[in-house]
Parts: sequence; structure tokens; C-alpha cells
Amino acid sequence: MDREFFASRYETKTDNSFALDDNIMVRGGLTTAGSKMLQNFVSPLQATVVDRLLDAGMELAGKTKIDELAIPTVSEDIFATLSGAAGAVSEGLCKIALCNDVSGKNRRQAPAKGLYYIHPTYGTVSRFGLVPAVSSMDQLGVVCRDIDDGFNVLGIIAGHDEKDFTTFPEKSYSYAPKEGPFRIGIPVNVMEAADEESGNSVNEFAGRLGAEKFELKYFEVLPQVMYILSCAEIGNNTSRYDGIKFGYRTENYSGLNDLYTNTRTEGFRPDMKLATIIGAFVLSKKNYEAYYLKSMKIRRLLREHADELFSRFDAVVMPLRLKDPEPYRNMALYAFATLCGLPSVSIPFGSCGLQLIAQARNENILYGICKGAVKDGI
Amino acid sequence: MEYEVVMGLEVHVELATESKLFCSCSAKFGAEANENVCPACAGMPGMLPAVNKRAIELGIIAGLLTNCEITRTITFDKKNYFYPDLPTGYQITQLYAPICRNGFVEIETGAGKKKIRIKQIHIEEDAGKLVHDYRTGSSLVDFNRAGVPLVEIVSQPDFRSSDEVIAYLEKLRALFSFAGVSDCRMQEGSMRCDVNISVRKAGSKELGVRTEIKNLNSLKAIARAIEYETDRHISAIETGCEELVQETRRWDDNSGETYPMRNKEDATDYRYFPNPEILPVHISEEWISEVKSGIPELPHEKYERLTKEYGLSDYDSKLITGSKNISDIFDRTMEYVNNPKEVANWIIGDLASIAREENVPGDEIRIDCEKFGKVIKMVENRVINRTIGKKVLQLVFREDMDPEIYVRENRLGMIADTGYLEDLVREVIAANEKSVLEYKAGNQKVISFFMGQIMKRTQGKADPAAVNSILKKMLS
Amino acid sequence: MDLKTVMEYEAMVKFNLPGSEREWIAEKASMLEESFNELSKVDTDGVEPLVSVLNFNSALREDVSVRLVSRDEILANSPDQYDGYFQVPRTIE
Repeated sequence: MDREFFASRYETKTDNSFALDDNIMVRGGLTTAGSKMLQNFVSPLQATVVDRLLDAGMELAGKTKIDELAIPTVSEDIFATLSGAAGAVSEGLCKIALCNDVSGKNRRQAPAKGLYYIHPTYGTVSRFGLVPAVSSMDQLGVVCRDIDDGFNVLGIIAGHDEKDFTTFPEKSYSYAPKEGPFRIGIPVNVMEAADEESGNSVNEFAGRLGAEKFELKYFEVLPQVMYILSCAEIGNNTSRYDGIKFGYRTENYSGLNDLYTNTRTEGFRPDMKLATIIGAFVLSKKNYEAYYLKSMKIRRLLREHADELFSRFDAVVMPLRLKDPEPYRNMALYAFATLCGLPSVSIPFGSCGLQLIAQARNENILYGICKGAVKDGI
Repeated sequence: MEYEVVMGLEVHVELATESKLFCSCSAKFGAEANENVCPACAGMPGMLPAVNKRAIELGIIAGLLTNCEITRTITFDKKNYFYPDLPTGYQITQLYAPICRNGFVEIETGAGKKKIRIKQIHIEEDAGKLVHDYRTGSSLVDFNRAGVPLVEIVSQPDFRSSDEVIAYLEKLRALFSFAGVSDCRMQEGSMRCDVNISVRKAGSKELGVRTEIKNLNSLKAIARAIEYETDRHISAIETGCEELVQETRRWDDNSGETYPMRNKEDATDYRYFPNPEILPVHISEEWISEVKSGIPELPHEKYERLTKEYGLSDYDSKLITGSKNISDIFDRTMEYVNNPKEVANWIIGDLASIAREENVPGDEIRIDCEKFGKVIKMVENRVINRTIGKKVLQLVFREDMDPEIYVRENRLGMIADTGYLEDLVREVIAANEKSVLEYKAGNQKVISFFMGQIMKRTQGKADPAAVNSILKKMLS
Repeated sequence: MDLKTVMEYEAMVKFNLPGSEREWIAEKASMLEESFNELSKVDTDGVEPLVSVLNFNSALREDVSVRLVSRDEILANSPDQYDGYFQVPRTIE
């Protein structure tokens, strides 16, 4: 069972333990990020979040398995296999686990295992020591069985890090559930596309707390925007993997060029290669304006739309699955929070679970909804 | 047919910071391979860029010195390509919001004064170094230089001769080295220059085919390459012997020719995009003022001070302000000897000739200025004479020993005792009657002969002024 | 996207895909390209591109040099090194 969820395992004496997705670095141990490219990579660095958890007295249980570099995928259905972190926490092999949930996999899967996933505001938790996927979207979040444990851990790992200039200046955070009542928004256009079970859970929740309908703008183009922006950054973040300094190197080369091409062709899986090609495609001189620049502009419009929404609502509820099983289409469900850097919590409510999204830095509202309003429904 | 050569320059200058642009590794030259490297500049994942404040300040200074507009909010971008000396597969540079724009540099050549316009200055990181191992046929990569901050100064195509190009580079070097922006040493690679060159018929408004020349490692190489490439263009235009294409060419100093470079740089799509890991850097008015007031004395300011305040000659002042190193030696020695004319004479006369004998170029003269000052003072205070002084200085330069101790131990003190010297002069005169007669006949040069004799007998330690006056008295 | 175009992008990103993979990428990329063209329906006139969701300026680091790791640690993961250098096949000028 360990081997199923863990890429590497550490011995623990207590149950006050944490797991880390294998793209989070522990000094002296392997950090493979689920990729052949990093199969033998031992980092000289340790992630800030690890230092903070260890300083707080928690023990490291192990490195959980992830899909290659934790990237969003289009062909391989990453949603069909259980996330290592969710598996480990649900089997009680660790109390909590940390993940970079750019793809939305943990947000989607945690509730099915009776777990919560807390995805913080971009800029809350240090990314120092995280193998980057999409730098402008990566953020470390918490898989947990108990929501108080989850927010307690978030309070330990969150806070300014001088090794990460993209963290907010606040030195520390202490989370406490905000008191209701809460104004909840329910996006009708998204609900129309949701699968039945997932939709029912959301409707049950909306019925219990009361929710106001709204249209989530740009929902139809979120897969494109998400995928275009992600691929460009993923391709760029992985151009350092070339078999020269560390990591996998092909055995089949005669000159410099095939050292590069064979290493990179052999070292990456198909979805990673597709993302890299698409990344180059959208950044090429010919296409930059129509695809990449365009997507950056729509991202701004989306962010402005979010500001407008959250002036009306404390939180917005979203389903976890679409009728259409395609991973590309389902990206849209997680892209709103990810593209805007908003905090969200996936909760095991109803038969399928749902996600709640709040304005940036309003984790306490999400905490409050989880504690106050929802405790009866889980 | 008269032709006009039109050139623009891209000059890369390594900024004189302690640490690299985005990480805290040392930016100093000369360490052993991969000593000044961390996971970030070795291309490993997990670290995030942390902008070096001093690098931005030096960029601001570079802009102020070249009369540019300083951009108030600057951003950084990623430029993508693969090469072993580029650890991450991209270079962090500035495409969309460079730190400086629209400036100019005034130059002076034999043809007169001219303004060279600067299109922009941007900050970017340097790549590592490749060393080729001919025995094994492999290449070796050193990332010490990867991540060192550079500014790239892009000029408008305002150059019309290689004299102008040289004057511009020397001016940039003078300004930047004095202001502490960079030591601008072409031989160490802290200043690099690419030339964009085209040729057209004199009087034409259209530009000819442009080629870019790279691998220019000295001012001499630049002058030779410009001459070669100009001739090549003219020859192609006139005879059609070869076709001129827009391309990048590499200068080969050994053969004295340019060759097309294998990878067509113009065809490369760098897929630039804004770097989301580096937030915008805001440059306030206050910061610019603060930086401006901290700029050390510039060559032309120092020239004014040396000529007006100290009364040094134009020649001497130009020499001292022509090199940051010489200028620093002057300043430091002035801390020990508060006599600018003396210090200038010693530097321009004695120190310069010693350096020439030892084959040390001006920029590389290294001397302990306190010891230098001691030598000057000993001569000033008539402890030793000038000739002994120069010999002692030579030893200080070569061996860095303490001049006062050396003079004492070797008993080089000046002999000024009048009685002793008079006796000596009488002896020499008595032994050289013929010369005395020549002197009385009107040959002034005899004095030097007698002086030489006295110096020989005193191992060069006699006070020349005293000897001179005694000689004149006794020979009259 | 046709196979020739895929090969152009492969050269840019240093891949050399086997035929079947190249065809698969061409197929997927063509579908994605079609999907991307939907973006033109969104009116983005006068909209500033968003690069980072954070709305504060960069901090600045004091110019002090600090050694983070030893040279041995830097070279420890390298597949091929020689005398303190990373070793690669000969580059061509």
C-alpha cells in the first residue's frame, strides 16, 4: 500500500506526520517530481515548507507519487488515477499531505475519499524548494481529513519567505473560521455542464445555505486560457532538463544535439512533450499575439470579473466534475481559482463533494463555511 | 564611387556587483570552475530569482551617464534557446520595459565632436563559459559567469568610421570605470562589443545590407574587422563577386577575416514572454536622486579639479584622468603626500617609466601608495636624492618592501655635508685639469661630467643641488 | 498542424519524436489549435495583459555574496564531469 502511494518513505514514530508530493524538496533525498528526467535527482536544497513543518514538531512520512511534474494534461486522464497524497492521507499513512494542485486533481479527488483539500491564495505559501510547473499559478496546498488540522498546518507553512519574493509580506498567518451568514454564489452556466452526481451535491449545499445564481464569465474559454498559459510556462520551466547538469541522460548520443534531443524525447512522457510543443507554438512569433498575449488579457478580464463577483458574494460554489469526461474540458472547473490566484477548499459534502472559492486572502471565510455551515452535511 | 559606412553597436558590459543578478553567488572574476555556483545558476529547479538592488542602481547610473530617460517601472522577460552555457535553457533579459531609453554619448575624434545616440540600455544575465578540450574532443562548461549582471547598450546606427567606434568605446569605458559601473576590460570580457555594419553610396538615404560582426576581443580587432568588412561589402557591391546577405559573422583575428556563423541567429525564434517570477521593479525619483548623488567623480569633473584647483597641466590632467587605475593611484598617494604637482610628476615621470621597463600596462600598475608616498616624502625632505628615490621606487614596485627601512639598512641617505662635498669636488677638479680648461673655454657640459664623477664616488648619494653650487663656485 | 510544423517546433524545444508520437502530437495540436481560435471571440480591446496575480512590486536583495552550497554538491548529480567542469560533446562555434 505504501508503494502504491509513496515514491519514497520515511520512518515515523508518531501520527503527527506529513507527506509531501514528490515535487517538494527534502535535502539529501530523492525528488523525482514523477518524471524519468529527475529519477535520480538528489536536491541540495530543502523546501521552506518542510523546514517549517519539521520545526513545528511534525514528522516526514514520505514523498507521495504525482503525475509527471504535476502538470495539467489533455490526453492522459490524470483524474482516473488516485493522487498519491489523497491515497496516503485517506489510508491514515500520514495526517496531512502537501501538493501543488495546478491541475486540480487533488481538489477533484479529495472529497471522494472523505478528505478536504485547501488551496491557498497565490503568494501565501513559499514555493522555495518546489519543482515548478506553472510559476504564475503554482501554490502549495493541504490534503487533510480534519479541516482544523488542515488550517493549522496552513498556518505553519504560510507566511513571508525571504527566499521567495513572490510571497506576501505578512510574516505569519493564524487561521480562524469566520462567522456567517455567508452570501454564496452558484454559477448556472457551470452547473448546466456538471455531471449529475456532482451537480446534486452542489444543489444540496446551495439549498441548505441559500445561494444566488450568477453566470461565470469566460467559462467556455477557460480550458484554452489555462492550457495556453500553462504550456508556455511548463515548456520554459523544463528547458533546464537537458541531461547536462543533473537528471536523466540518454545513453544514445554522438554529438551535442542528439544528447539534447534523445535525453528530452526519452525522459518525458507524451503529455509533457505535447505541453512543451504547444508551449513553443503559443509563444512563437507568429502566434504570440493571438494565443499567449490574448490569454494574458483574458486572464485579466477574469480577475476583474472575480473582483466584481466577490463584491457580491463571500464565496462561490463549483461542482467537481463535468458531464463531459475530457480532462481538457474539466480543466475549466479548477482554472478559475488557479488563474486568478484565489483560495479554494474542496469539501466532502453530499455524495460527491464540491469546491468553494473565495476572494484572495479570504481563507477564513472558507474555513468558516466549512466549520459553521457545513459540519452537519458531511 | 564614394561609399559611406554606417554602423551601430551593441555593447555588453559586466556590472561591478559583489553578487549575481538573481542569486547571491559571487560575481567576481577568476575563481576555479563552478566555485561560484548555486542550484539556481546551475539550472536546478526549486529556487526563485531575487533581484540584486545594486545591479539596478548600476543600470540607473549607466543611464544617467549616457543622458538616458530612466524607465520608472521595469520588468524582466525570458528569452528561450538551448546552449550548454545557458543553465536553464532561457536567459532573463528585458524586452518590453528596458531600464533606460533615448540617450546619447558625446565623442571626439580627429574629425571633431559628435553625439552618438543610444536607443536603449537593458539589464540581463550573462551565460556561463565553454572551454574546449582538444584532447578528448569534448566541451567543458563552467557556470561561474552564468547569472552575472550585464547591461547591454544599444546605439543607433550613428557611426561613420572606426575612429568613432573606438572613441565611443573609450568614452564608455572612462565613464563606467570611474563611476564604478564596470571595470570595462575587454581582455577579461567585462566589456564586449558587436558591430552592425552596412555600406551605402555616399549621399544615399537608404541603408545597405547589414551584417553583424561578433567575437571582437580588443579595440585593435574592432578596427581591423571594420576595415575588412567594409572592404568586403564594397567589393561585393562593385564586383558582385559574392552576394551580401543579412547575417551574423564571426571575426577571426588570426586570419584577419569574417566568416558566416553556423547557427543563423536571425532565424532563431526566441519565444520571448514576460517573466512571472519577477515582479515589476519600481524606480522612484528619490532613488534616482540618491543614486545620482552617489556617483564618484567622473573623468571630466576630475580634469576640471586637477587643472583649476591643483593647477596641473592639461597634459598631466588628461593622463591622470585617462585611466581609472592611474586616477586611483593619484588619489590614494595624495592621502600621504599633499602635493598634487609632485605626485603627478612622480606618477607620470618615474612610475610610468618603471612600469614601461617592467612591461606593465597602465591599467595594471599595482603599487602600495603609502610606500610610494614615503619615497616621495623622503626626496621632498631631502633624506635621499631624486635619483636614489627612483631606484628605491623601482624596488617598491617590484618587491613591495618598505622604502624607509631599505634606505636605512643600505645607508642610502643623501650626502649634503658641505665640508665633505667641497673636499670631494676639489679632488675631482684636481684630477681633471683638462676638463677644467674645457669648462673655462665655454663647454658647459663639463659640469655634468664632474657631477657624474662626484656621484660615482658617493654611490649616487650626493645632493646634486649642493654639488652643483660648489662646482660653479670652485670653477669660476 | 502538419508534421513538418511539428518538426519545426521539435527543433526549437530539442525533441526528436518517433514517427508515431509525432503524428499523435500533430493530431492533438490540430484539435487544440482549433480550440484556441475560439479566443478571438472574446473582446480584449484595451485590456492590459496580466503577468502575475500579485499586485505589489518586487523586493530587492542587498548585494552581498553568500555561498549556498559547495562545488561538490553542485557536481554531485552530474552525469559527466571532468576536473570541476560539466562535460558535454564538442560544441561547434
